[in-house]
Amino acid sequence: MRSVVLTKGVPDFREGQVSFDEDGHLERGKTPTVMNPNDKYALRAALQTKVRHSGTVSLMSMGPPGYMEVLQEGMRDVYADDLYLLSDREMGAADTWATAMTAATGINNLDEAPDLVFAGFKTADGETGHTGPQTEWCLDMPLITHVISLDVDPEEELVRAKRLVEAETDEIETVEAPMPAFIVTDPEFEASYHRAEHRLKHKDLRETTQDRADEFGEYLADDADEEPTDWDRFSMWNHVDLNLDPDYIGLDGSPTIVAGVDPIPKAPSEREATPVDPDDEAEMEQLVDELTPYAAGD
Amino acid sequence: MVEIDPTELEIAELGPKIRDVDDADELREMLELEEGGEDRAPVRTLIEDRLEKVEADDEEVDADSLDLSEMTVADIANAVRDIEDVDVLERLLEQEKDGQDRKTAKDRIESQIEAVTGGDDDEEVDLEYVPPEEKHPDLDHPTADKQWVESMEDGVYRDMWVYCETQHGELIDVSREMLGKAREMMDGYNASPDETSGAGDETTTGYGGAEDGTEEDVVAVIVGEDVSELADEAIAYGADRVVYLEDHRLGRFRHKPYTEIFVDMARAGGQLASEGHEDVDWKEYDEPRYTLFPATNNGRDLSALVQGELDSGLASDCSGLYITDAMISNPAKTGVPGDSKEFDRILHMKRPDFSGFEYSTILCIDKPFRDFHPQGASVIPGSFEVPEADEEREGEVVEYQMELDEDWFSVDVTEYDALDSGIDLTGHDVVVAMGRGIQDDPTEGIELGLDLVDAFDDAAFGLSRGVITSSYSFDGHVEQYIGEDRQIGESGQVVEPDVYIAAGISGAIQHKVGMDESDTIIAINTDPDADIRDFSDYYVQGDLFEVLPKLTRAVEEGDLAAAAAEASDD
Repeated sequence: MRSVVLTKGVPDFREGQVSFDEDGHLERGKTPTVMNPNDKYALRAALQTKVRHSGTVSLMSMGPPGYMEVLQEGMRDVYADDLYLLSDREMGAADTWATAMTAATGINNLDEAPDLVFAGFKTADGETGHTGPQTEWCLDMPLITHVISLDVDPEEELVRAKRLVEAETDEIETVEAPMPAFIVTDPEFEASYHRAEHRLKHKDLRETTQDRADEFGEYLADDADEEPTDWDRFSMWNHVDLNLDPDYIGLDGSPTIVAGVDPIPKAPSEREATPVDPDDEAEMEQLVDELTPYAAGD
Repeated sequence: MVEIDPTELEIAELGPKIRDVDDADELREMLELEEGGEDRAPVRTLIEDRLEKVEADDEEVDADSLDLSEMTVADIANAVRDIEDVDVLERLLEQEKDGQDRKTAKDRIESQIEAVTGGDDDEEVDLEYVPPEEKHPDLDHPTADKQWVESMEDGVYRDMWVYCETQHGELIDVSREMLGKAREMMDGYNASPDETSGAGDETTTGYGGAEDGTEEDVVAVIVGEDVSELADEAIAYGADRVVYLEDHRLGRFRHKPYTEIFVDMARAGGQLASEGHEDVDWKEYDEPRYTLFPATNNGRDLSALVQGELDSGLASDCSGLYITDAMISNPAKTGVPGDSKEFDRILHMKRPDFSGFEYSTILCIDKPFRDFHPQGASVIPGSFEVPEADEEREGEVVEYQMELDEDWFSVDVTEYDALDSGIDLTGHDVVVAMGRGIQDDPTEGIELGLDLVDAFDDAAFGLSRGVITSSYSFDGHVEQYIGEDRQIGESGQVVEPDVYIAAGISGAIQHKVGMDESDTIIAINTDPDADIRDFSDYYVQGDLFEVLPKLTRAVEEGDLAAAAAEASDD
């Protein structure tokens, strides 16, 4: 069973991590990069597959060389076997369609075609939710999105998944598709390891992968500026390696552009707030009086 | 004697050169030469097209004869759009200043002067198409083999297409909302240029319809099982035409067939039409100009797949849409670094971005030698009003028929269940909502919020968007409380309880939308000037990790003094 997981580095949106310039625009350069939170569910789905059915997991991302650290983080999480970074100035500033073409080419360039490709839902920065499905469209595999649980049947070469359909009424669908298939996980995805042997294997894998990720870390620390070539679990491919026409990737290949970014306007003042000092008993008393009518009865 | 002898040139060489010939007589002579020589049909067409253009230019009204005092601002705007002579424009500007001196009229003339002079040197730069094999000789199989791209150049685009999602045989509300918004935009688009529609900055420009002056339509697309009965409803909500396809295998949304069907409809009658659809009686253009989809789970997927196959782009989860011109300097789009180019009829797609910190306006713009149409958007449910249905409205209903390939159904839906309505935060006395103020100890923060919820008789537990998009790690026992189903705000639930307690929420405007109808709003925040202060009734300046336990004890005990006394007894 060979799986590929697509992941992306995004600005760390936790409070205090995000930097804004004077005009209120996000300063990406000053905001640390972390793995896209929604991708963790794709990683968990791939990991579950590996634990239950063995095989290998490759982790692939497109972005600047700094994303190597994101891949390292991902390697720990998913117990990945190898890492691929599609990295090239020509790939920069890509929208989802140009990203999809690059990612699909990256997957096609692997020595062995995957049985399963996993992607997360929206990224925390772009928040489109398009890249997974559009990559699938290039690869033309059966697509299952919004997956919340997954069962792979290697004998029958089938995947069975539950997917979340959120519209006016929320529904859960059970779907079945032949492999190879493309899975986009929902943030509600839950892995399950109900057999003891799976839990044992999980533990074993964790140990070997921790070592491997540390190895990669040493390798990164060694010579961060040079293009890595001699750690055979990591490959960095540029557009020439992938035979990609620069007109179809990156900014040049992107149908859409961001024409303007406006800070979200401040909400107009509509209420006169009574200030409350939490250490002032009288002030707090007044506040509590508002709440006590709703207190739970005995 | 002509300067360019077509019989000595290949058509590829002639193409760029002929654009410099402005003399009709010379062109006629060239035509004769070609006819007397090899008489190549494409060369004749090339020369004839140029001749037609040159002659049309000669027929243009003499701008100096315009009497601006007799004209409306809209007429002036129309007239100056075609004038590229700066001197003439300057004279018109003087004429207006001496005459009615209308600011709007002067603005139109001035911006035309700017447009003409701004692109002065390279205004007529003719970009030359270089095949990728020549451009990138180092790549041995460039993407030019169009492995994934069926691109189009100089296509004809019309109309706004709206994908109407259904559930259980009914249109869902967002489908109605999009039809209403599409109607409003296309009415504005079809109006004459002096009328604008929409509010604030989000104004659709009147183009008087398509380039040929005919009105463009709102087209509703409905795909499913037994959907024909929904056609009249789509018309009542604003569609001019409904194109639907029914099949018993389409009762549930399936990615592949739904995409193939929408794309086949979109290309019907155009240059990329599939076999059997080269001619349809309801459509002659190549592809839609605009497409709208609902930003639901399935609608968003469909939008990405359809726009990908049509080799175009889209913005997802939009909450604002309007059509107007856009001045673009991005060289990827203009083809010339440092140059600006005005693109007209551009769908402006506004969306909350970066996890709610900013609004971005996304544009989908053609580039040289590759069109990016249709311009697509998915729309957040609830962003626009459901319009009043007009049962009297008339429209055309088209039943679309095509072969559905059995291979498209490889993903089989074996079972489905409606979920319980999920977590409903509405209808409670009290809502306790947590924001990024929990970051010092996210798990404890959530626990403290839940404790306070438990102290009330009927309270619900909500979250700001920030908590959901931040990569906090929570312990297992509180993780179940973290999810979009508890989000309050623009893209989450809208609540109006008697008491709303916002702990550690800074108060972005999207959050406000979800809670500002609450009777009493209590904010707890360490920042003395968080935005939420402006829409709170009580502002507790303090740390939620200290304030929440106090409030919980007080509510449990019925009053603060007792709680304080008990606390000191501990």
